[in-house]
Amino acid sequence: MNAKPEHSEAVTVAAVDAAALQDEALAALGCAATPAEVGELRTRYLGRKSDLKQALRNVRDRDTGMTLNAVRERLEAAFAEREAELERAALDVALATDGFDVTLPGDELAVGTLHPVTQVRRIVEDAFLGLGYEVRDDREVETVEYNFDKLGFAPTHSSRSPRDTFFLDHDTVLRTETSPSQIHHLESRTPPVYMVSIGRVYRRDAITPTRFPIFHQFEGLAVDRGLTLADLKGTLLHVMRALFGPQRRVRFRTHFFPFTEPSMEPDVSCPICDGAGCRTCKHSGWIELGGSGMVDPVVFQNVGLDPEEWSGFAFGCGLERSAQLRHGISEIRPLWSPDLRVLRQF
Amino acid sequence: MRVPISWLREYVPFDLPLAELAERLSIASAEVEGIERRGVPDVDGNLGLFRVGRVLEAGKHPNADRLQLCQVDVGEGTPRQIVCGAWNFGPGATVAVALPGAVLPNGVKLAPTKLRGEESNGMILAEDEVELGADHSGIMVLADGVEPGTPLADVLPLVEDIVVVESTGNRPDLLSIYGLAREVSALCDVDLAPPPGRDPACTNEDRVDVRVDDFAGCPRYIGRLFRDVRLAASPPWLRTRLSDAGMRPISNVVDITNYVMLALGNPLHAFDLDTLAGGRIVVRRASSGERMRTLDGVDRELTPDDLMIADAERSVAIAGIMGGEATEIAEGTTNVLLEAANFEPYGIFRTSERLRLRTEGSNRWEKGVDPHLAPRAAALATELIAELAGARWTGDVDVHDDLPAQPVVRFRPRRADELIGVSTPPAQQRALLSRLGFDVDDERVTVPTWRSRDVTREVDIVEEIARFRLPDVPFTLPVRREMFGQLSADQRLRRRVEDVLVGLGFSEVYTPSLVETDGDAAALRLEEPISVELALLRTELLPSLIEAARRNLELGNSRIALFEIARVYQPSGGQLPVERVHVAAVTEGGYARAKGILDALGASLHGELAVAAVPNRLFHPSRAARGGAGIVGELHPTLLGGGPWGALELDLELLLESVHEPVVYQDVSTYPAVRQDLAFVVDADLPAGELFAAARDAGAPELREIRFLSDYRDPPIPPGKKSLAFSVAFQTDDRTLTDEDARTLRRRVIDALARRFGAELRG
Repeated sequence: MNAKPEHSEAVTVAAVDAAALQDEALAALGCAATPAEVGELRTRYLGRKSDLKQALRNVRDRDTGMTLNAVRERLEAAFAEREAELERAALDVALATDGFDVTLPGDELAVGTLHPVTQVRRIVEDAFLGLGYEVRDDREVETVEYNFDKLGFAPTHSSRSPRDTFFLDHDTVLRTETSPSQIHHLESRTPPVYMVSIGRVYRRDAITPTRFPIFHQFEGLAVDRGLTLADLKGTLLHVMRALFGPQRRVRFRTHFFPFTEPSMEPDVSCPICDGAGCRTCKHSGWIELGGSGMVDPVVFQNVGLDPEEWSGFAFGCGLERSAQLRHGISEIRPLWSPDLRVLRQF
Repeated sequence: MRVPISWLREYVPFDLPLAELAERLSIASAEVEGIERRGVPDVDGNLGLFRVGRVLEAGKHPNADRLQLCQVDVGEGTPRQIVCGAWNFGPGATVAVALPGAVLPNGVKLAPTKLRGEESNGMILAEDEVELGADHSGIMVLADGVEPGTPLADVLPLVEDIVVVESTGNRPDLLSIYGLAREVSALCDVDLAPPPGRDPACTNEDRVDVRVDDFAGCPRYIGRLFRDVRLAASPPWLRTRLSDAGMRPISNVVDITNYVMLALGNPLHAFDLDTLAGGRIVVRRASSGERMRTLDGVDRELTPDDLMIADAERSVAIAGIMGGEATEIAEGTTNVLLEAANFEPYGIFRTSERLRLRTEGSNRWEKGVDPHLAPRAAALATELIAELAGARWTGDVDVHDDLPAQPVVRFRPRRADELIGVSTPPAQQRALLSRLGFDVDDERVTVPTWRSRDVTREVDIVEEIARFRLPDVPFTLPVRREMFGQLSADQRLRRRVEDVLVGLGFSEVYTPSLVETDGDAAALRLEEPISVELALLRTELLPSLIEAARRNLELGNSRIALFEIARVYQPSGGQLPVERVHVAAVTEGGYARAKGILDALGASLHGELAVAAVPNRLFHPSRAARGGAGIVGELHPTLLGGGPWGALELDLELLLESVHEPVVYQDVSTYPAVRQDLAFVVDADLPAGELFAAARDAGAPELREIRFLSDYRDPPIPPGKKSLAFSVAFQTDDRTLTDEDARTLRRRVIDALARRFGAELRG
């Protein structure tokens, strides 16, 4: 710091070199490290007894006055800025040393969860919406007519047995699959139609670790001109990839369903082992996932459509089974569990 | 169905590796559930240590009463001494021998040994020891005429691969080895052997007395008589085939009927002719109240719907399902009546369903067996009964009505290409169909009788082509012109409700729609529930959710908040119930918490969800309310511990009605609001909601907001009264309100409340 001039009372206007004074003050300010030091320097350069103030008091000509005033304003701004800077730095130092631990947990806010079956339902809905399908949610208590007859179930089909199906009376059942939606939809629309029905279905199975008599299915139906089995295969591939990842492959095995012909069971390459073989896929590399096929002409006739003009495909698959595969759940039980330790994992 | 591969190869000599055959079958014909290998380990020449032996001498072991000491020729020049525990043979018997060093299927390796002081250099085998069957009552006695030393594997199937096939209900023809062989023939393009069985000569000395009263139920009945039947155990090859196929060998005649069923798919039955009254067969419906004891020892009551096989006096079998105890083949049977019939599927299904009796036979009949199969099955059985039981075939009758003709179907090969989406040359299509037994003549295809139920239309022929082309079908998407997809308003609402509740901390739970008890005494009941807990269709969700909350309490879980969206089923008086989609939620916290959840739902849906006090059995008597969409309240304190608990249940469709979408934007006023606090003394039972609604009406349109402050009932408020305090905000869109304006508005509210409710403004 520069030594204070001994003879301040002897200062005259001419003796003050405005530019030098400004340089000196700014240089000193640049070296100030605390707000207190800034205060001292302010007294020295801008205080009542400072050279600048004395010179201003004694100034007689207009030009000198303007020059000195400009220097004063510049210095005042510089001092204010430097002071704020140092105060903020001092505050940050004080705040930074309060011993705060950022790794402590935050406030415990309530966060809920969607059930994994609902999550699968949404994935399926979104995949089909993307393909231009409508979503249906139909009644679960059905007539034998819609659940079996109109879908072409033979009178001897084992599903018609009260051992396999829940009856409310002779003509009324809890639907055994979402397929009655096909009839409801085709009766209420004229093709082309693209529809996926999602909901609860019922089979009279004993409760085991892997079976529960109530479960959920999605079932798609497309009816248009010129649809082929290849279109069915491509559609299923799209949905399986939406559910189980873009690496999945799909194959068909021949099967039998009353309301499709030809009928196939689709297999998806095992998402756990990627087809190499593991416990989940029983070392086959493939997972069975529901049923599919081309709409049987009987169904078209039952809803008054000409099977020579229209063709279509349908496919169905269990939501629980999909959720199990997605999340590595080997038993059905967790999906019906009310235990929040289970539900909060999803 | 369990298919021993050596049996299958007898009909179709394929040479594909088994794993590949299994995969092709799974894709095109019927699912292969597994391949099992049974028998002697086929490693390091192990099979060579199993030989045919001839017993030269056999006698009691000098030091053990229960053992035999044998000298056995196994083709080595000098016989081997073998100690054996069985007594069902003597000198001269041809037997199966394992030499020292041989490894048995159970992993035991034989070594020369001494038993009670006598050397034993091998083992005479019982069928269970080499997994040829389950019998351990004695050693296997082989047919004579095989040279000692012959490898045993040349005579017996020491190793067998068994393919387990699960066929679909439309393919009864695949419930037979020969039917599967036909598929393999098409899959591998290998010729199929002619069907097994050729009738020997019939002596025709007996007339077979068969009368069919009901051709609808029994389109065909072939009856054949056999005399001088020597009932005995079947030879090892037959026992092994049956046991490999999963059936228990019983006696030669019974085994033959089962063998023919497995080979060709036509179930047969054999009666002891001498137990049939009048030696005759009548096929008729049961008479009302008739009873019969079946082979399994159960007395069964029959109805006139059941098709029976009867003799001159009584029923002797439930047609196609199970024979009767009184006429079964048993020790002492010497004369046999063989039934090779055909039964109509639906009747068999109904009877087997009503009796809860499913058998190998009923399982085939109810899927529809080809009536043209019966003579073939009869021929194979006759050949075997003559050969294996030394019987004479003495009588034959074939009673039938007109049998169905083979369907002829129009078929355009290009139609297959159109539906499958991949092209198959017509010549290839014809070749495939012809392997499967179809006759193709231009656009006319004659369907083989064993497929005539399943294949009746062009599309069924297309499936025959498609199932062999499945791996080649490409992946395409429909080219669409007219459709688009979007969620409906109620589907969007459902997602919104789910998301709002999850955001408020609720976890979604799925509970069964079948319950043990329900609040509605008329709730629909299942005819045959699997348990009392899953017997009624619920009319409300809350009890299930309360139960779920209770479970969490028991588990010690904290911050319990659960919701579910599902259907309920309200009795309608008609055939079908009214189904509604409900949302229900249960949460820790009392009435205010539940009401807060309802209000939050209302706010986020932009709906109005006003409620009024309405009691409900699940709720606290003074803290239950009902609005347009459902109920909300504090659960009755006796329902769950650790309370209070809040709950609500709403009908999503009704909720949707209260939603105003899309929201209409209102400009935000730039003029300041004037806020005032007001408190009124009113009757204690006046609902605050009514007071606020009246205040809102009186202050409109300037009254923009009412905020509840307090409900105070202590002195100085007189008994029977309460003080309700709330703040109001007045505001306009076009100017700043003056003090005078505010006073006027305030007065309007005060006067209206005084007029309507006698409300007195406090100090």
